Amino acid sequence: MKKREKSENAKIQQNTLNKNTFRWLWEFTKGKRGTYLLSVILALLGVASMLLVYVCLASLIRELITGGHDIGFYIQRGVQIGLLWVIRYAFHGFSTYSAHASTFGLIGNARKKLLKKLNTMPLGAVQMRSSGEYKSIICDRADQIEPTLAHVVPEFTANIVGAIVMFIYMMTIDWRVGLWQLICIPVGIVAFALMMSSTPKYYPNTIAKTKALNATAVEYIGGIEVIKAFGQSKTSYGKFVKAAKEGADCFIEWMRSQNFLENLGMACFPATLLGLLPAGVHYCLDGSLAPADFILLIILSLGTIAPLITVFGYGDDIAKVGEIISDMADVMEEKDMIRPKEGDVKPKSHDIIIKDVHFSYKDKEVLHGVNLEIKDKTVNALVGPSGSGKSTIARLIASLWDVDSGEITIGGVNIKDMTLEEYNKHVSYVSQENYLFDQSVMDNIRMGKDDATDEEVVEAAKRCGCHEFIMSLEKGYQTICGGSGGHLSGGERQRISIARAMLKDAPIVILDEATSYTDPESEAVIQNALSKLTVGKTLIVIAHRLSTIVDADRIFLINDGNVENYGTQEEMLSSSALYKSMWESHMALKKGGN
Amino acid sequence: MYRTLKKFFAFCEKRERKQFYLSIFLGVFNAVFIAMRIPAIYVVLKALFEGNLSEKEGSVAVVVIIASIILQVIISMKTTMLQTEAGFNTASFKRMKIAEHLRYVPMGYFNSEGLGKVTSIATNTMENLSGVASRCVMVVSKGIITSLVIIVFMLFFNVWIGLVALATMIVYILGTELMIKAERTDSDEFTKAQDKMVSKILEYVRGIAEVRNFNLFGKSITKVDESIDRFGKYSTRLETTYEIAMFFLNILNKIAGVIMMIMSISFYLNGSMSLVYAVTMIICSFMIFESLDQVGAFNGLTRTIENCVDKANDALSSPTMDIDGKDITPTDMTLSVCNVDFSYDKRKIIDDISFDIPEKSTVAFVGPSGGGKTTITKLLARFWDVDKGSIYLGGKDIRDYSYDSLMKNFAFVFQNVYLFNDTIENNIRFGKPDASREEVIKAAKLACCHDFIMNLREGYDTIIGEGGASLSGGERQRLSIARAIMKDAPIIILDEATANVDPENEDLLMQAVKSLTKEKTVIMIAHRLKTVENADKIFVIDNGKIAQEGKHDELINEEGIYRRFIVDRKEAAGWKISKTSA
Repeated sequence: MKKREKSENAKIQQNTLNKNTFRWLWEFTKGKRGTYLLSVILALLGVASMLLVYVCLASLIRELITGGHDIGFYIQRGVQIGLLWVIRYAFHGFSTYSAHASTFGLIGNARKKLLKKLNTMPLGAVQMRSSGEYKSIICDRADQIEPTLAHVVPEFTANIVGAIVMFIYMMTIDWRVGLWQLICIPVGIVAFALMMSSTPKYYPNTIAKTKALNATAVEYIGGIEVIKAFGQSKTSYGKFVKAAKEGADCFIEWMRSQNFLENLGMACFPATLLGLLPAGVHYCLDGSLAPADFILLIILSLGTIAPLITVFGYGDDIAKVGEIISDMADVMEEKDMIRPKEGDVKPKSHDIIIKDVHFSYKDKEVLHGVNLEIKDKTVNALVGPSGSGKSTIARLIASLWDVDSGEITIGGVNIKDMTLEEYNKHVSYVSQENYLFDQSVMDNIRMGKDDATDEEVVEAAKRCGCHEFIMSLEKGYQTICGGSGGHLSGGERQRISIARAMLKDAPIVILDEATSYTDPESEAVIQNALSKLTVGKTLIVIAHRLSTIVDADRIFLINDGNVENYGTQEEMLSSSALYKSMWESHMALKKGGN
Repeated sequence: MYRTLKKFFAFCEKRERKQFYLSIFLGVFNAVFIAMRIPAIYVVLKALFEGNLSEKEGSVAVVVIIASIILQVIISMKTTMLQTEAGFNTASFKRMKIAEHLRYVPMGYFNSEGLGKVTSIATNTMENLSGVASRCVMVVSKGIITSLVIIVFMLFFNVWIGLVALATMIVYILGTELMIKAERTDSDEFTKAQDKMVSKILEYVRGIAEVRNFNLFGKSITKVDESIDRFGKYSTRLETTYEIAMFFLNILNKIAGVIMMIMSISFYLNGSMSLVYAVTMIICSFMIFESLDQVGAFNGLTRTIENCVDKANDALSSPTMDIDGKDITPTDMTLSVCNVDFSYDKRKIIDDISFDIPEKSTVAFVGPSGGGKTTITKLLARFWDVDKGSIYLGGKDIRDYSYDSLMKNFAFVFQNVYLFNDTIENNIRFGKPDASREEVIKAAKLACCHDFIMNLREGYDTIIGEGGASLSGGERQRLSIARAIMKDAPIIILDEATANVDPENEDLLMQAVKSLTKEKTVIMIAHRLKTVENADKIFVIDNGKIAQEGKHDELINEEGIYRRFIVDRKEAAGWKISKTSA
């Protein structure tokens, strides 16, 4: 977590994006590039139709000013203009439609790729982010890129190219007036440039204040129970109010500081008439500009600059899209597990050998060259003080992480040479955090074995002591488990997950923290289920209570990232002082307590 | 759209609402200043057609336009500030309201997921709203007002053409309403598809360990792709409706412009209108709908605003308790529970329970999970209000106490520990804000925290909590005990399942608990044999009732839940793994 925290801080400080942001955006457009191109072409055709509208209009105005009195001609031109508008908006509509369709496709692509990525990253790395963060990246924020990305393609094309085409058309009518209309542009540019130059002064402050506000909100709301329990709700509320006020004030202050410049710029940019009218008058007077052309130029100038301003408005939104894609890129660039995608390498037995394994967690080496050997169909316990590395070893065997150096072999095969799929057939990892899907109890247990019959599922449930409570549920095996369907207690959920593992029937079983319970009332039943699960398996137990593993074939004492000693209970008691003292303090506690 | 804006204005505080209204009103002037371009053009054209054009007309036009720019800048500076302030302050006040509201919500109401939701509303949703809402108000009001002002100009020039423009605008606005309606029908399906996708994705992410353990990727149960595609399909469908509607609305404006143009020309040709009027009208017909187009384009945002407003109202709708009692200092710490009923989600959890807990006694609650023992301890400290009956502390109903003065008497040790993103010292001090450093260290020592704290690089100044230094579950647990020791409350409520957090260091935790509970009233949800054996009184809670009560020696000899509990505990404590166990 720390590492990520650091990189996040760095990001805020320099406001830098993942350097491959654009590459990933390009990657996500795969399969949608054609429709994006189509969108651009349609937008260009729309611009062409718009130009034709003004060409028709030019002919109409000229006729009118030079005294043409045939109403039929005007109606004909009017119908032409109307039709051209229909064509223009049809192109525009199809262009926007295809840009949207491609963008939805792009977001779908990104979502699928991200989810697939989670399946190939080390599980431990996946769990460095909370499910809420993934939801934010994959669901919420991904949706936020749609309006910008979908509009940018057609509107940038239509507005920028449209403005340029209109400008050129005006230049062909009278290049002098065409240039004169731009007289206000320098003022607008200076105003906006000055405005931008104050950004570094205010922007970091708004970021800092927003961050502070969010942190205060997270703490106040997340900690509300503690705050209330300690009678601090008034004080903490006061802090929150202050942060909320500052969070709003910093933006207001920023706006106030650039208020004049922004509105000046916004008023000046479209003020084409300021230069155009006097210039037009001047050239009309000296006879070098026909009155009809003058009128035409007035109409054309109304629509030249305004579309450009719409485009300016996208600046912030595009930056935001960059940030969102950058977050996705950070996930996509996490290291994958080093596993072949295909292959049929299978272990010949279930002996596990760990050879000189080093492993670092958050930049800190926690295993310093671990060696140990686990024999097929034996019971093995990893014990040691908390933080010693025993859980890490189990997680490496369970393929939740990859080793930094050294190797882990099962039946003589390096686990890195097996596909994850093959590997998972051999190992069951049971912890107290087994997740139940929002599906029926039946389907949840069946996950252990795809083709299991209902009878097999019920049999597994019976052996794990689940059958009775399942039958007491209103819908029995068809009850939906789901996170929200809180019909099941912690202990019940744990037993269902054990039944699932039992159905899977993998020859290697790793019990990590599975022997401590969120639900002490059903401890005995769970223990019973675990006993049945582990019969005849190669078993690795992370033991917290030493009394549970006295009968193990081998006990490994892990201390400070090394295997300090191993042997049976008797051997350990006589050969290891640390083990002996751990055992004694455990027995003292047991006598005193449980 | 107008419904959404109405809803949004109702959502605003009074001051902000007034600011929005004032900004809309000022928008009328702004529109007039923008429309000043028309007279400028008119002056030039008139002279041009009457043949008396001189440089003077050019200068007049320049003056008028410069004046229009200056006035526009002045007015929009004012409206921009009004809308910015109103937008950000609305978000800010709603945040405060949510925070204030939380003070009155029963403590038991939220699980961590619910709190996460509220947090997201107070941060992201409000941030989104402050940006979008003022922008939307600005564009919509500006679009409509500017068009209206130009229409008034046109009515002045020619009633018929002005009426055509007015009719067009009315149809346009009705059209946008219709479009929103059409979108609503689609958006139900859309929302369903979205919810489905989000829950599928969340399920996949949360269950990722199982997905891998059981090779579930790509199998039916994790068919996430399908729901993603489905959502994409409905999004596109919604967009299609929008595009079709926008197509017709745009065409409506343009065709109306063409009609107005032809009308002007024919009026000119039949002599009822001068050429300069006709040409001015043609120019107007190109200007008028330019700002109206934006109104349609912003329709998409109304959904966002409505969504944000609904979410915030939702967060403010959770039930509240009246916590503004008197500041009372109880004379003795006897807790009495009299005929208490309590239901949650329409399920009765506590059913007519009565008992007393004398000062400085140790009481253990045992019983099957879901029986109600956790709930009863939480009712004692008013995490919830009882439905029926009363709970008294020192002879006074706990509802008569102000919340803070009631809480002074309790300290809690529960399984999930919340630590603030602050130094260790300040986290411990949270129990007693004016404590000296020595007092903090003393409490830390008593809670067996001192050693691990000194092992951290910055000792007591180490920042912990969200994103801070990582502590083990047991260390966090003991810190929370140090915090409780600091508070020195006379009644301790404790869930013993906490021992499972860090079994290797259970002895340290027990020692910390011992320091905390010395000379106090202790109320435990008990799991350890030793605890129940030494308790002054044991309550066996089952099905919301007291099934058995008494001391260990009495209960162990009765047939009942308690004996079964003891046997189970002994069995669990003696369990061991072996090859042949089955």
